[in-house]
Amino acid sequence: MKEALAEVQRISAHPDSRCWFVSWSPNGALLASCGGDKAIRIWGREGDLWVCKTVLQDGHQRTVRKVAWSPCGNYLASASFDATTCIWKKKNDDFESLTVLEGHENEVKCVAWAPSGNLLATCSRDKSVWVWEVDEDEEYECVTVLNSHTQDVKHVAWHPTKELLASASYDNNICIYKEDDDDWECQATLQGHTSTVWSLCFDAAGERMASCSDDRTVKIWKEYPSDSGQGVFLVDSDLSWKCVCTLSGYHGRTVYDVAWCQLTGALATASGDDAVRVFKEDVTASPDEPVFSLVAQVTRAHNQDVNCVSWNPKEAGLLASCSDNGEIAIWRFKEED
Amino acid sequence: MASHFSGVLQLTDLDDFITPSQECVKPVKVVKKQGKSVAKIQIEDDGSYVQVNQDGGKQKLERAKITLNDCLACSGCITSAESVLITQQSHEELLKVLQNNKTKETEQKVVVVSVSPQSRASLAAHYKLSSSEAGRRLTSFLKGLGVHHVFDTSFSRTFSLLESQREFLERFSRKEQDSKALPMLTSACPGWICYAEKTHGEYILPYISTTRSPQQMMGSLVKGYFAEQQGLSPQQIYHVAVMPCFDKKLEASRSDFYLEEAETREVDCVITSGEVQKMMEEQNVCLSDVEPAALDTMFSSVCEDEFLSHSGSGSGGYLHHVFTNAAKQLFGEEVKELTYKTLRNKDFQEVRLEKDGAVLLCFASTYGFRNIQNLVQKLKRGKSPYHFVEVMACPSGCLNGGGQIKPSSNQNQKDFLHQVEELYKAERPLLPENDTKVAELYKTWLHTLGEERAKELLHTKYHTVEKMTNGLTIKW
Repeated sequence: MKEALAEVQRISAHPDSRCWFVSWSPNGALLASCGGDKAIRIWGREGDLWVCKTVLQDGHQRTVRKVAWSPCGNYLASASFDATTCIWKKKNDDFESLTVLEGHENEVKCVAWAPSGNLLATCSRDKSVWVWEVDEDEEYECVTVLNSHTQDVKHVAWHPTKELLASASYDNNICIYKEDDDDWECQATLQGHTSTVWSLCFDAAGERMASCSDDRTVKIWKEYPSDSGQGVFLVDSDLSWKCVCTLSGYHGRTVYDVAWCQLTGALATASGDDAVRVFKEDVTASPDEPVFSLVAQVTRAHNQDVNCVSWNPKEAGLLASCSDNGEIAIWRFKEED
Repeated sequence: MASHFSGVLQLTDLDDFITPSQECVKPVKVVKKQGKSVAKIQIEDDGSYVQVNQDGGKQKLERAKITLNDCLACSGCITSAESVLITQQSHEELLKVLQNNKTKETEQKVVVVSVSPQSRASLAAHYKLSSSEAGRRLTSFLKGLGVHHVFDTSFSRTFSLLESQREFLERFSRKEQDSKALPMLTSACPGWICYAEKTHGEYILPYISTTRSPQQMMGSLVKGYFAEQQGLSPQQIYHVAVMPCFDKKLEASRSDFYLEEAETREVDCVITSGEVQKMMEEQNVCLSDVEPAALDTMFSSVCEDEFLSHSGSGSGGYLHHVFTNAAKQLFGEEVKELTYKTLRNKDFQEVRLEKDGAVLLCFASTYGFRNIQNLVQKLKRGKSPYHFVEVMACPSGCLNGGGQIKPSSNQNQKDFLHQVEELYKAERPLLPENDTKVAELYKTWLHTLGEERAKELLHTKYHTVEKMTNGLTIKW
């Protein structure tokens, strides 16, 4: 392989605990991490190194499972096993707790901001997906409660440009939601994975979606107009998604996370086999039958499960990963000619 | 199995789809009996357990059962309640009682069926009849099966509306001293009550109106006044309610509505509009072919052979009645037409009474879980501007209840609901205070019982369900 993942830095971010998730701020200058120690840490660059700028504590009573930056970068949302979602507001270099969203019956598994910044989605072990709306007074109100999954919902992700929401669940399915008339509705249920779907993400254009699963595969889904005859048949719907590619045989265990680089189109995965991998698309292949090949991997990226991978949104090739051992690793994906 | 309960109950921990046998954490109450301590337990071929005493005598052991009351008092799942309900409250139970009346000399029951106006509208839409026409034919069908009396819960709803109005004025008068006097939240929706008790307890319960729902008002009327008039004990009456909602079965099963002395429930069985339709299909009956019958006028809101209803929403018109009454009583304003302002969505509306720029009354209706959620959060943060809120668990309210008849495959859900709403609204409204029969009952019956007893018959109580700290409930 000509390409390679070079380690930039390794940080013991949440010592004696798990580091569950990392998220880059929209301008790429800050990295937020969260973990089993109930804390959120904000990392910033000093010289060549990433250092801890601040620690957000006392917001949650239990594990913080995911964190998400608002598109403007001024707010941070954190989802916790204590059944709440915290909204933090950035003030100079610090953060203050703005509000706590209550309503989920038990563990909140994920939180994500819509591209407009006016909507927030959360999901939980209570099998529901909620959409919240933020008004001018920074008040949050519940817009909808969606009960399309039959099990724990692991992940939610918004389409990069449209108000379209996707969720991944322990019931092996992916659901796609859209606002219709007066309420949100599940527009499509994507079946294909044979075990828990842990995460999903859209590509930069929003035409495709990548999902990863406990079935050790990554699937690429492409949107088709419903009358094209290519996708699943949907009643009363103008969109349909079809699985156009399955990456299998690469991962030794569960694939916990997948990240699509918005700048380069590279696809990174985090796996329970302790590895971080990067796939690239063959540009000559037909868009209806895309081909992805493994171009770089670090088999022992961490000495325990890798929970998350995240591409820096501004600096092409800069990748962060985190692990059950509490570490964050920063990598540089190098493409050589 | 898909749950029939309203969305509110399906969320929360209430629907983990676990059955009593596998994961129910409710400790079973064991009645200890005095006896010799040494015995063997033997499992028979039929699976029953038999205790074999030292002297060789055998005794069949009782099976430990989770009752519906156990489920309702538990903070765990509600699915167990569902399976219990299906065995206790179904149209098969009604048919069993009717069969028994025909074949046996003993345990004869007077069977009373109270039909909700929402169910009438649902049947009317399905069989393409007017609501009154559906009511007359349903009366005929039920009497043909052996039902003795068919009543109408619009009649008992008049009591609910009058009591709500009185309770509101009383709460309004003490709003300065008591921070939990207002907003008054309606109590007719059992899904909402169950959710409030299980999830929000003492935060929310004080705001909830103590006025009984129309179903349970009818319970008081039938097992109290009616039984007395007929010279029957409450137990000799089998009282069935036909409701648009599955959660109403839970309401009927509440211990607050169990008559300890007479050992009977005020409403013995609740069947949904959909179950009535199923019952007809099983008997190969099409409602539109049934000859209409004369209506029972005793506990029915009727004018000749037409049913009368109440103004306002299809969920009982609580907001409408309490608002117009309060505007008049408190501010001397005659409100002819209410202006509903749609807020976040069509299931969240607001009505205000304003004078010289000041807001005198601010009422709202919040239907569906998302709106209930925002209401509860506002209350918790002390940011609710409301004096009164009509709360219903189902989106679009009771006419869209989970127990209503489903549209047929070629019908659009929204169009069908619209039809049901139109049919419901076509019944002529009657002002609760103009119902002379109800006024008469207040005078001749409730007045003679004394204030305290009357309050018991017209109001109820709510109970916080403690979150269980039992080690068995820990989720790893």
